Amino acid sequence: MPVFSYVTDAMVQSNVPQPTAERQRELASTLGVGGPTTGERLTVDRLREEIDADPDDSFVSMGEAIRNDLSGRLDADLLAAALPEIVAQVGRVPEVREAGIPGGKTGPEALYRGLVEPAWRVYHHLEDVGFFESVEANLPAFTPEHIAGTARELVRAEPLSTTLEECGFDERERMVLMMNVANNDTRLSRWTPTREIPEGVEFEVEYVPPLQQRAMGGALLWVQALDEHLWRKEILITDAILDDVRWDTKAMLGGLYLMALAAHDIAAGADGSLTDAQLTAALTAGTAVTIVNQEELMQDAFWITEEKRKPSEASGREEELPWQ
Amino acid sequence: MAIEDDKAIKAASDTIVEETELGYQVFNAPDEAVLHQTDTDRIPRYDVTQEMLDESGEDEESWLMFSKNYEAHRYTPCDTITKDNVGELELEYTMEIGANSSMEGSPVIVPGDPPVMYQTNGPSHVKAIDPREGDVLWSYTFPAPEDAVLCCDDNNRGVAVWKDKIYMTTLDSGVQALNRYTGEEEWYASTADHAEGYSATWAPIVWKGMLFTGSAGGEFGVRGFHCAYNAETGEELWRINNCPEEEYVGDSIEQSGGTNWMTATFDPERELLYYNVGNPSPDFNGTVRPGPNKNTCSTLCVDPHSGEVQWAHQESAHDIWDYDSASQRMIIRDLDIDHLDYSGDVVYNGGKTSWTYTMEPETGKLLVRGQPMTQQINMMTMVPHVEEERDYVMMPGLLGGNDWQPPTYCRETGLAYHKTLNTPHEIYWRNEEYRPGEKFWGGIVEVEPDEEVVPDDYNGHISAIVAVDPATGKVEWRDWIDSDRYLWGGTMSTASGLLFAGTQNGDMIAYDAANGERLWEYDLGDKAVSGDPVSWYDPGTEKQYVAIQVGGSGFVGRGPRGDQLAVFSLSA
Repeated sequence: MPVFSYVTDAMVQSNVPQPTAERQRELASTLGVGGPTTGERLTVDRLREEIDADPDDSFVSMGEAIRNDLSGRLDADLLAAALPEIVAQVGRVPEVREAGIPGGKTGPEALYRGLVEPAWRVYHHLEDVGFFESVEANLPAFTPEHIAGTARELVRAEPLSTTLEECGFDERERMVLMMNVANNDTRLSRWTPTREIPEGVEFEVEYVPPLQQRAMGGALLWVQALDEHLWRKEILITDAILDDVRWDTKAMLGGLYLMALAAHDIAAGADGSLTDAQLTAALTAGTAVTIVNQEELMQDAFWITEEKRKPSEASGREEELPWQ
Repeated sequence: MAIEDDKAIKAASDTIVEETELGYQVFNAPDEAVLHQTDTDRIPRYDVTQEMLDESGEDEESWLMFSKNYEAHRYTPCDTITKDNVGELELEYTMEIGANSSMEGSPVIVPGDPPVMYQTNGPSHVKAIDPREGDVLWSYTFPAPEDAVLCCDDNNRGVAVWKDKIYMTTLDSGVQALNRYTGEEEWYASTADHAEGYSATWAPIVWKGMLFTGSAGGEFGVRGFHCAYNAETGEELWRINNCPEEEYVGDSIEQSGGTNWMTATFDPERELLYYNVGNPSPDFNGTVRPGPNKNTCSTLCVDPHSGEVQWAHQESAHDIWDYDSASQRMIIRDLDIDHLDYSGDVVYNGGKTSWTYTMEPETGKLLVRGQPMTQQINMMTMVPHVEEERDYVMMPGLLGGNDWQPPTYCRETGLAYHKTLNTPHEIYWRNEEYRPGEKFWGGIVEVEPDEEVVPDDYNGHISAIVAVDPATGKVEWRDWIDSDRYLWGGTMSTASGLLFAGTQNGDMIAYDAANGERLWEYDLGDKAVSGDPVSWYDPGTEKQYVAIQVGGSGFVGRGPRGDQLAVFSLSA
């Protein structure tokens, strides 16, 4: 089921995700604020005015624990270098969409892969230093309470919002990212922290990476796969699919950026700019966005049903078949 | 000689195959291999050469590998039986095989005077048969271990033959080479530890002294592979994991699944190997294995000399419906795809997705995705968790579409013929309680969902035989086959434009391959015909023969067990 409708207004330059009124009401309800009035579109500023300004104590203590746990293990220079590079890749998303399907006679040229190169470097570093294990150990599962708390902290945290704006996400897109976190508690709850997978399940739990690693690594793998997928399946690919790819990829880069930003803040020690609560929110939101949008990308661009495919010049579509 | 007096057949007959909570297990198998020789002198002594294998597709007197030729066409150039005289096709004999086990295989026919048939069935049992008389010349039963666990039955789908040897995969994930004249053991190689869930049930292939074989156990959390052996000595030449480590998050690669549980296809002109890759593990809980899960549910193309992967075409990225891509690939030469202005060879297959795929052979680029062969309802949507109040009945079900059933390509019609299922399945996912070695889905599967949740659009036909044009993807004709059982087994076509297929209702059918008209039918009884038809011409008798194994198979909808080999013939 699509989470967002898309506006096709000529005033909008490309398919910008449009939060539906229902989704805005859902977000408002999660945050405990008034919903949008008729014709109103919720904004982060409007939400910030209405919610309690004091941070959640549990978010403070979780952030503090993660900082303490990872103190001295992260490479501040590597992370500092990666952050603007990720931002630069967010900025490249429109040109990649413009290119559409990678060229190449015997295999795809690198197009989408470039978008995640800086984030891969961050991921490998975080994996090497045990970042994901530490974060998973100190954060709760995606309970409705934790998700609501994260959403509230995202609204409160002006630095996070400003950073995303600088990263290339406009107001509407930031709201959509917020909703990806706040309006998906059931969906996110299926992504269980590894430590909470029941004892003795049907697979080897020791082979299941920490939740945040699955989120971040999964997002990277999906974007990385786009070159080959779009090239190999070119006969099925429509502009609508490519538009969905554009947003899903951009959103995942936003989530990856939040993860990298949080890691850098920890590495920066006293020079960090996020509060402990904001750190917790950045990690949770980054995880949530990468999860939600990798699932969206999977459904939008990889699971290409008859209804979604570019019609074949030779065989047409399913409805032409005599089923009876 | 009565089959009761054949020690190897008796050993196979005494072996009990039971569905247990772990999957399928074999009990009361012999502790050691059992060989019974009856009349080995009747087998002509000469090598099956590489040249014979290369020319197998053009030779009307033989059927030298699982799907007749390296390109896997299941097509005989023999044209003694025609559309005009197929009505005169008669049952030459039926033969009791002596094992009430899975009957999914393709016999191999080595030409000679007499020809020799090598016929296998579960559990890891093979015979040399004089197909003129239906006499067993030797028989062999492999000692299947009780702790081997099988997802879906104790199948064995056939042998490879080369020089003086035949090669059979074994339920303990091995390859057993036997002297084809005597049935005596030549070498054995274990490809993986069956205690970890690995097994083997397909027919291997041999090319220039290299034997190619895969892996099974995708429902047991294994890591799929393909490997090559020296066919003379059993020395392993190379081995590759089907799923690349760099495409997985952390240690999730260790239980990636992605097995290769059907016979590979080989392109002798390009010297490239093509094979199917199965589902990721666990089946339905994708959250523990994020990403596309390459190269599961794919066609994999590899270099036969090194195992180096050339390309992969994935049919179901991050699969959560068990849409492993199971059936054997085909290579179709000089195909004209007019709407693409393409003329050349293609790789082709049908999937559990019910789509067919026509691919460029050197890059794997998708040229044509065919029309759905069967119904697609609620397809490729998220599987609900058990705690969600959402019914989820999907079509195709987790057995396809086109599951393992090997299709045929008829050069006369230019069409491929698929056996397909059209069955709604209901699934949910959860974290299931686990017991070591137990088959797991990571969820609940209802193969017979309650009527009220079956989609209204379901047409009620459980299966179909479908003709597809690989150049356009069009479904040219379809014969719905109704039953309370599933349709298993393969198809075969002939140079005279006939299509042969057995059905789950016990019928053997010859179609006009051009339009699907049934030209001949034979009632083989109440057992499902789950084998794959083969055909050969015997100059000694001046007859064209068609043979097929009769009996159930599979873990669902298989019908009562049978143990017959039916051989039909028509004089030239």
